[in-house]
Amino acid sequence: MTKAYYIIAALGTFAGIANADAAGTDQPMFIFGGFGSMGISHSSMGSGDYVPDSSIPSGPGRTAVWSTTNDTRIAGNVAAQFTPKISALLQIDSEYHSGNSYQPEVEWAHVKYAFTPEASIRVGRLALPTFMEAENRDIGYTYAWIHPPVEVYRQEPITNSDGFDVTYRSQTGEWGNSIKALYGSAMRPTYASPVPSDLTSRNLWGIFDTVEYGSTTIHAAFQQRKTDSGLLLTGQGETLVTDKDLSAGVQYDPGDWFMMSEWILRESTYKTSAMYVSGGYRIKKFTPYLTYAQNSLGSFLPGSPPPSQNALTLANREQSTISLGMRWDFMRDTDLKLQFDQVKLSANSNGYLENVPANVTLFGSTFHVISAVVDFIF
Amino acid sequence: MDSIKPHGILRNCMKFLLLAMAAIPAGADAAVVVIVSAKSPITSITAEQTARIFLGKTTSFPNDGDALPIDLTEGNAIRNEFYSKVIHKNPSQLAAYWAKVIFTGIGRPPIELASNEAVRKAVAKNPHAIGYIDKRDVNRSVRVILEP
Repeated sequence: MTKAYYIIAALGTFAGIANADAAGTDQPMFIFGGFGSMGISHSSMGSGDYVPDSSIPSGPGRTAVWSTTNDTRIAGNVAAQFTPKISALLQIDSEYHSGNSYQPEVEWAHVKYAFTPEASIRVGRLALPTFMEAENRDIGYTYAWIHPPVEVYRQEPITNSDGFDVTYRSQTGEWGNSIKALYGSAMRPTYASPVPSDLTSRNLWGIFDTVEYGSTTIHAAFQQRKTDSGLLLTGQGETLVTDKDLSAGVQYDPGDWFMMSEWILRESTYKTSAMYVSGGYRIKKFTPYLTYAQNSLGSFLPGSPPPSQNALTLANREQSTISLGMRWDFMRDTDLKLQFDQVKLSANSNGYLENVPANVTLFGSTFHVISAVVDFIF
Repeated sequence: MDSIKPHGILRNCMKFLLLAMAAIPAGADAAVVVIVSAKSPITSITAEQTARIFLGKTTSFPNDGDALPIDLTEGNAIRNEFYSKVIHKNPSQLAAYWAKVIFTGIGRPPIELASNEAVRKAVAKNPHAIGYIDKRDVNRSVRVILEP
């Protein structure tokens, strides 16, 4: 905890000096900011915990009737522009994760060099833009929902990687395009059933493309990595499994309303898919929205060895959710959101519920989650 | 995919959306105009191109010349009018957009000046600059390239 504050304080001191030097230029060298969320949620399912992310060890349901751990976090962010070509970013997040603590972690820390206004390279800890709201998934203020749809966003537990990426932005008439290639590695503790594990990924690479035309944004991504989840799946120590993700999304947001949908196909030792569709309408300071999300049963590839019980549990998490919610921008840089989820578990599936006792099956159950959150930026 | 069929809910939601859209009145009169320096070669621009420059999605005009956007400060009525009519974002949508862009390190917002007059003077001086002001503050030092 203290280490993170030292870094921030040191950068702050540096910024004070640097800004004095930069007096007279138009843009400040450093932009200091941050964001946070304070959330509370309740689940009607008492036999398991409802958690939107596999890095969260517990949540509302079995562990607590009402819980604040799912959607509560705070982060500090420093964006530096040293020269027109060289910039850097540091973001430190504190949210509930391993060790049942809010111990701050470096979410992003990278240096960027822009060869031209269109082409740049970044080196360090980088966001993994698997989904349209992946880079800003922790910044609740930037979207309408309480959190991005669980069925889709839980497919990619890794949010950053240590390595480099190269981005090229181009513009043709009113079309904008941004293409990115990334290479790196990542380590992330997860609490996903059936056993908590450190998910280590090597040789992680991906291609990510975003096209914009008017109010329409289209995103497509392919990424691949070697993970040690093979240990979990096969019980054999050094087995590395290749994970491949193909994801796509489309968003239409003319201002007064929005509609968006994203899909992902995953292949590791099994194949699975997930999708959601969501829409909302902005009426002055209120944004009511409706989302439908679902993920499919994992199917094991023909000819693969018989899956272990752990692998079956991991692959069989089929569920669907209808969410109805409202965002209220009640004061500057601050919103209040309320959301009601109806979650339906498929036959033979405990869905994404965590901490379900080993002898308990909740197959085919339906339950409700009520959440409230205040998001802010500063 | 077919285990749940929320068609009834979706249909009701669409009805609600259509009703709500019909209830939105046309925008009130406003006199915001988009300007460049009289020394600039630019004579016109579309709302979409203006939006891409002010949202930091491009750093150049359609003719490939460098573009330097200049904003009015937050809370200014002309600024709100500009973002509502040209960019189709209200102040909280704009704050959300920049939160995403700044915190992910993609870019930073335009420089801000406090008055129409200050924007006009800054734009007049710099042939790469683009700004927006109240039409009543336009003089011969700048050229109107878009009247949204």
